Amino acid sequence: MKFAGRLRFFATMVLAAAAIAVAAGAALGVERFPPPDFDTHKLPAMVQPLPPGDVRDYVHVGLLAAGLIIATWLVLVRRSRRGVAILSVASLAYFGFYIGGCICPIGSIQNVAAGLADSSYVLPWTVIAVFALPVVFALLVGRVFCSSVCPLGAIQDLVLLRQVRVPTWLQYPLGLLPYVYLGAGILFATLGGQFIICEYDPFVSFFRQGGRPGIIYFGAGLLLLGMFVGRPYCRFLCPYGALLGLCSRVARWRVSVTPDECVNCRLCESACPYGSIRPSTEEGEPA
Amino acid sequence: MRMDMETDKNRQPFNRRQFLKAALQGAAAVSVGGLVAAAASRSAGAGQIWQINPFKCIQCGNCRVNCVLKESAVKAVHDFTMCGYCDLCTGFFHPEPNDLNTGAENQLCPSGALVRKYTQEDPYFEYTIDETICTGCGKCVKGCTSFGNGSLYLQVRHDRCKHCNECLIAARCPAGAFIRVPADKPYVVKHLGEGAIVGEEAR
Repeated sequence: MKFAGRLRFFATMVLAAAAIAVAAGAALGVERFPPPDFDTHKLPAMVQPLPPGDVRDYVHVGLLAAGLIIATWLVLVRRSRRGVAILSVASLAYFGFYIGGCICPIGSIQNVAAGLADSSYVLPWTVIAVFALPVVFALLVGRVFCSSVCPLGAIQDLVLLRQVRVPTWLQYPLGLLPYVYLGAGILFATLGGQFIICEYDPFVSFFRQGGRPGIIYFGAGLLLLGMFVGRPYCRFLCPYGALLGLCSRVARWRVSVTPDECVNCRLCESACPYGSIRPSTEEGEPA
Repeated sequence: MRMDMETDKNRQPFNRRQFLKAALQGAAAVSVGGLVAAAASRSAGAGQIWQINPFKCIQCGNCRVNCVLKESAVKAVHDFTMCGYCDLCTGFFHPEPNDLNTGAENQLCPSGALVRKYTQEDPYFEYTIDETICTGCGKCVKGCTSFGNGSLYLQVRHDRCKHCNECLIAARCPAGAFIRVPADKPYVVKHLGEGAIVGEEAR
């Protein structure tokens, strides 16, 4: 009995020693099964396919700048609806379906915010350019990016069948949502490194032909709504649109109604699909 | 701005509205310029792209289903320098096989993407991954990491990855194993050790 007890103790000690040795081996990175030393057999290399190179980024930024210049010319000089529509389709094809969504100026807000808040987050110059180009254009000539370069705007413009006017009492509070979304997007990006604006982007699933079902339903719902309400995402959600809207308030060469020449026919008001031309005040002054 | 003020003064009085607008334009230009300059001063070299830290990965299987692509950009890779070339590979064989042969019912991989080949040197077998079939489910990785050397692990394949600004797999990774790594060092090579990981923890 005594001998058996001693034997059991001894076996326990041996097992414990073995367990410690295995644990130490694992901690030191020693493999459980030592890799063999081959005589003739050659170890294959681990294949590491590289991401697409910088050229794509240069082309992306170049085309964005070109699109903005053409959009400015079409909106302010040519004043061509047809031209804007053609440019929209081209932008949708390239920035939407070809690029597959990323990186877009809307999402770049979060990269810039994260880059400024966290010094370890690397911000490539292409992302800065993608963020800044539409802002600079908005400061000079208004939101030409939204008009025909943004693929998210273009896809909504394409489905617009018959516009329904959103009543002012509803349009005003809904129009505040983008500012809330912008604030939330910046907060999430700077505090947690989570990019909610990209995560809940309703149309990127269509561009990639794949994504989460919830987001696809959300995007499809917005497109259905967009058949009757012009650009619902842009007007009531888009955080970058809110930012550009603030910039375009001080734009030098934006499209505006000249008060002295306005005869108050209010045709422009009913023609604008986005309800952005407000009725003039009682005295005939623009609001 | 000053030039405009002077020419305006010659023509008509410079009113409060114009002054406010000019001031706002100036302020906006300065703030955007400042923001871009601040961002640019932080900008350095290549951007960051998504990758899996294999030392944190728990092989939950989310990578297979949560990618925006129909076929996930995450695939199993094999670090041959770590592999024991076992005959009885715990990444290849089902834990309770009917028989120890390459029959599909005995394999852990649901799609047969892990290919077993004799090395011509006893008793070693080489395991390679057919990436065109691999779904990134991580079953072989779990088998290899739990009972073997851990030479099989999951990595984001950058020729397939769409490089989303916010990776949906990362958003749903229960282990926090998704990290942003520099684009010029896009893989976490496990045999180089945990200290060799160059990247910022995503969250």
